[in-house]
Amino acid sequence: MFGKASSSQLSVSLGGSGALSHVYIQHPPLRCSIPGSKGLFYDDGNKLILSATSDQVFSWKTVPFASHAAPTSDSISEGPMLSIRYSLDAKVLAIQRSNHEIQFWDRETGEMFSQTCRSETESILGFFWTDCPKCDIVIVKTSGMELFSYDPESKSLHLVETKRMNVSWYVYTHESRLILLASGMQCKSFTGFQYGIIRLPKFEMAMAKSEANNKPVLAAEDVHIITVYGRIYCLQVDRIAMLLHPYRFYRDAVVQQGSLPIYSNKIAISVVDNVLLVHQVDAKVVILYDIFADSRAPISAPLPLLLRGFPKASSSSSRTGSKDTDSLEANDMSDHETIIYGDNWIFLVPDLICDVANRLLWKIHLDLEAISASSSEVPSVLDFLQRRKLEANKAKQLCLVVVRTVILERRPVSMVTRAIDVLVTSYSNSIKTGGYFKGIKSEKPPTPSVSNLNISTSVVDESIRREDALGKSIKHGSSSGVENESLNRSPDFPVSDPEENVRLENSNDHHSLGTKADTENFTAGETSQSEVQKLSSQSQLVGPSNSPLNASISENLESQAISASISPDEMYSFVFASVEEEMAGDPAYFVAIVVEFLRSCNVERIKVHPNIYVLTIQLLARHERYAELGLFIINKILEPSKEVALQLLESGRQNIQTRKLGLDMLRQLSLHHDYVLLLVQDGYYLEALRYARKNKVTTVRPSLFLEAAFVSADPQHLAAVLRFFSDFIPGFKNTADHTTYCRILNEMNSSIAA
Amino acid sequence: MGLSSANTVVNEGFQLCVFDLRRGQQEGQELDKILFFHPADLPFSTQLSVIGLSEGLITFTSLFKGIVFVSCRIFSPEAACEVIEAERHSHVFHQAEQDIWMVMVVEKSKESDAIWRIDALRKVLKEVHSLFVMFHGSIRSLLDKEPSGGLVRPHLYNFIMDYLSAFQKRSPWDICCCDFLVGKKIKLPSFRDCLKERGTVQMLTVGREAALEVQSLVRVLESCAGNTPCYSLVLFQDLLVSTTLSPDDTINLFTYAVLRLAPHALLSRASSWSYLRKGNSASQINAASVLASSGPVSEQFYGSRDTSPHGGEHSHHVVRPLQLNKWYKGTDGFLVTDIWGPEVGIMVSATPTVWLQQTDERMYLCVYQHKSLTLILLFPISSILNGEQGLSVVKQQIVENASLKMLKVEEKLSKGWGGENAYHVGGYRYLLVDGDRNVSRASPPGKVTTLTKESLISLSNLREEVDWEKSREIWDDPGHDKDLEICIRAKNNAWVIARTTRGKELYMVLEKANETLLFASDAVEKFSNRYCSGAFSLD
Repeated sequence: MFGKASSSQLSVSLGGSGALSHVYIQHPPLRCSIPGSKGLFYDDGNKLILSATSDQVFSWKTVPFASHAAPTSDSISEGPMLSIRYSLDAKVLAIQRSNHEIQFWDRETGEMFSQTCRSETESILGFFWTDCPKCDIVIVKTSGMELFSYDPESKSLHLVETKRMNVSWYVYTHESRLILLASGMQCKSFTGFQYGIIRLPKFEMAMAKSEANNKPVLAAEDVHIITVYGRIYCLQVDRIAMLLHPYRFYRDAVVQQGSLPIYSNKIAISVVDNVLLVHQVDAKVVILYDIFADSRAPISAPLPLLLRGFPKASSSSSRTGSKDTDSLEANDMSDHETIIYGDNWIFLVPDLICDVANRLLWKIHLDLEAISASSSEVPSVLDFLQRRKLEANKAKQLCLVVVRTVILERRPVSMVTRAIDVLVTSYSNSIKTGGYFKGIKSEKPPTPSVSNLNISTSVVDESIRREDALGKSIKHGSSSGVENESLNRSPDFPVSDPEENVRLENSNDHHSLGTKADTENFTAGETSQSEVQKLSSQSQLVGPSNSPLNASISENLESQAISASISPDEMYSFVFASVEEEMAGDPAYFVAIVVEFLRSCNVERIKVHPNIYVLTIQLLARHERYAELGLFIINKILEPSKEVALQLLESGRQNIQTRKLGLDMLRQLSLHHDYVLLLVQDGYYLEALRYARKNKVTTVRPSLFLEAAFVSADPQHLAAVLRFFSDFIPGFKNTADHTTYCRILNEMNSSIAA
Repeated sequence: MGLSSANTVVNEGFQLCVFDLRRGQQEGQELDKILFFHPADLPFSTQLSVIGLSEGLITFTSLFKGIVFVSCRIFSPEAACEVIEAERHSHVFHQAEQDIWMVMVVEKSKESDAIWRIDALRKVLKEVHSLFVMFHGSIRSLLDKEPSGGLVRPHLYNFIMDYLSAFQKRSPWDICCCDFLVGKKIKLPSFRDCLKERGTVQMLTVGREAALEVQSLVRVLESCAGNTPCYSLVLFQDLLVSTTLSPDDTINLFTYAVLRLAPHALLSRASSWSYLRKGNSASQINAASVLASSGPVSEQFYGSRDTSPHGGEHSHHVVRPLQLNKWYKGTDGFLVTDIWGPEVGIMVSATPTVWLQQTDERMYLCVYQHKSLTLILLFPISSILNGEQGLSVVKQQIVENASLKMLKVEEKLSKGWGGENAYHVGGYRYLLVDGDRNVSRASPPGKVTTLTKESLISLSNLREEVDWEKSREIWDDPGHDKDLEICIRAKNNAWVIARTTRGKELYMVLEKANETLLFASDAVEKFSNRYCSGAFSLD
């Protein structure tokens, strides 16, 4: 029994990882090498990787990530390039040429204009397109931030607003829409804006001093903005103290939340499926944090990043590369290409790695199997898995396996209880947020701090907050903006974001399929990629007209994925039913688990399917624990239902008390027909008649009563039964039953007389 | 006060004996068959004549096994003999074990309270025997251990005397009556107790949520013992909440718990220490003096000098689990007692043990109490290594793992509990017995006392009738429960109702009720629908 259990776990854990690693990149990468390329750029607004030659820009979409993605290209004029970004509607291409000039191309007409600094004293630090309602593009200069709107008619930018301040450098991510402007001697004073308009309180980052007079200067690469669980954090690397400080952004405050140790001078940050990955580049390991939980403890021990699927190279040799590769592809893949945490790796937001030298793009994946197998603390593993959205189905399967295993291994009841609580709570939350039925895994209810933030705005849905936790006005901006963006996108830039992609599909469901939307359960995740694209292109045809109304809906669905939460029915069929088969012997442990499950469901007010009750009855009856069974029934721990009643009757064949419980339950459930039938079967035909008369049960055949009375060999009773039917059933006297039993009765009487 | 004379008062008209038919069959050895006789100071000749009569009847009636004497209630199919109604006495028989009989002789007196229901008396015999077996094992096994009877006699003597002295302690509401000890009549269950059913448990009705919490607690307790099987009984106040024991063991332990372990039983000791202290010592003196008064023969016969706490050397140490006020709450929440200590009077608390019928195994008895919640845990002696030491490990586990849950459960049950009148139903005085589950529920005693004597006597008589019907039913058609409905208009115009259906019994007294039968029937119907989920509403 145990061998079986552990082997099943082994297959799961090993099947996934194959090596000691929790994070992997999958071979093959996206190759973006173009002859004559001058450099690679990343446009995080559109999630494009761009490669520019002297007169062309090639772009690959990174979402959905596909190694075979073909680039699209635009012609540009020659010149230096500092950065390239497409507008969010992909109609305009902007290239920063120098510290003083940004050029714009209208992609349809090919018209070009440029924006230059007015004075020589200021220089352009960078720019980005935004979906803020007021403006379309933000240009960050040393003297401050300028917000422009783009006028497609006149092909020009109009200055909307200027925020004056000294800026040393800035960081911005499109997914958070947050820009942090650094200023001051040490560059540790920050001013934050979201959507260019919401000003966050100015704050300073803490920095440890190495010596009294030596004040370290914070560099742009030491500050990372990340978005996890819809919350925005800023991570600051303190190289002196060797700490990573997370700052959480609230609408009215920026709060430092603990510190994480770092073990490398070079730190890179990625976020995969809301899990924070801190790459300790020098140490060539990655540490995982799930900062949803209060604890700042890493999910697992530091382990290297794994390259998976590298041809003819085992994971161990993947670092050094394979020398004897003769296949074309392997040749193509030279030694230095596969150096993990090489010097030419650039980490892109949120989960991409760009190998600049080799022009490769890798996507980082979590190895859920390995993570779940690495920890013995089952409840927290389940908690972690339940929050996973990208591979929700896999997470769900893993959860089931994990629960099954802990039960089969007979781990302490208290621990299994906590594990079950995690699953039930998660399911309950997904029900409350509608996530389970729509196939959306919504997140857990707001933590206290978040709800503080949102009290005034009464925002309930996490997925709205996801875009930002900073208030309602922003939310509106976000939703309509994103909506427009996706719907207006021109066809040669089909899809840029997996979430948006799926969202489109679903919003399409909502509009074109109407009532079917609710039944849309798991299909979303199972649809093949092409289908998703097809659907999304369909939804593009719908056009922008429907955007205002459906904006919020689609926002809701944005985080759509299959939910990892497990319903009680699934718990029954994938855990309890299968476990019960494998568990022999004393049922005490299993019953304890079932009781805890029921308790947990009861706390969350989740209905449980009777089959789990039936299973419990079978188990208790098989081990002749009738006293407990009776207690369970009387206290309604096993809730009354027809299935339960029938099982009681079945199990009560050996125990009359249990059978009576089943009968009583039938009566209490007003299942009159079954009750009467069983009374007759048990020989209580007179009682059955009385009951039938009282509750107007006419569906039981008279012959059954007559037969029972005949068997009892009591002519008085038989006569009474005959009389009853003659009196109460019209036309009974003409039936064959009547004649037959009258004759029998006469025979009985005559035999007695004789 | 002359205690010996007081004793004769006590025992007047009441005799209780246990004897073994296999023993003393040869002339001159008749005394051998007497295992217990109360009052002990009765001359042996009298004792032998009582037993001789009983034995004769048993032997005689056993010849008729299989023949029903409907007209005379002496004979029943299973037991050879159940009762003899003589002119002045009733002899109640109970075959405790194979060839071991218990006979109770009660005097029919003109006194008002001396109206017995035979079945209730027999249940007393049954109860004392079941409890005895639970603590000491069967009488036969004790006899086998020491054929001279030197082992079984002191055990029986102490046990039954303790039991009888405890009789009045049964109900917390008449603690004041326990001065039986200093010389009043043994108050046997009379007609006044006709709304009680001995040998059943009373259960607390709990909601599903609380029930799940309780079960969750029970499972945690079970898991504390590791792989050793563990049985548990959970009581709230004097009511059973959960059990994992077989029905028979549940009844025994429940009875014992209500007598000695439940908060009421402990509380009485704490609240009126000095008074009960007196009672306590009195009981010991009582027991001792009974022996003293019964002369040297008896003393030798019962060999039980050790019942007096400091009584010098003794051949057998007799554990007296029914002794009053011997349990108290330890610092860790577990109840402790010195009853099972190696020496009486020395405060060494050895863990009590009981014999479980279900598994035929000796078990450690651990009792944990938190406020109104009493947890009784049983672990097989054989599976706890290192004895006491191993047990203390388990106890520690329980305190560590389950105390939080216990707090929660206690709180939840307290919140849901309606007090001692929780199961009172206005206008009704009732007794509801579920024979299948050995559960009964009745109007609270305080409410029953408001009934007039006439009503109670009528009900007692009615119950006697029903008992008779039931026993005949078993004979007529075993395994087939008959429905029965009797409504009686008593002299005082009260309705006295009995209804049995499929193993469930309902007894009811309706005073100040309307005079029509329809009304009575309606009242039963209403009651049945509301409180018995329609079990008694057939028509």
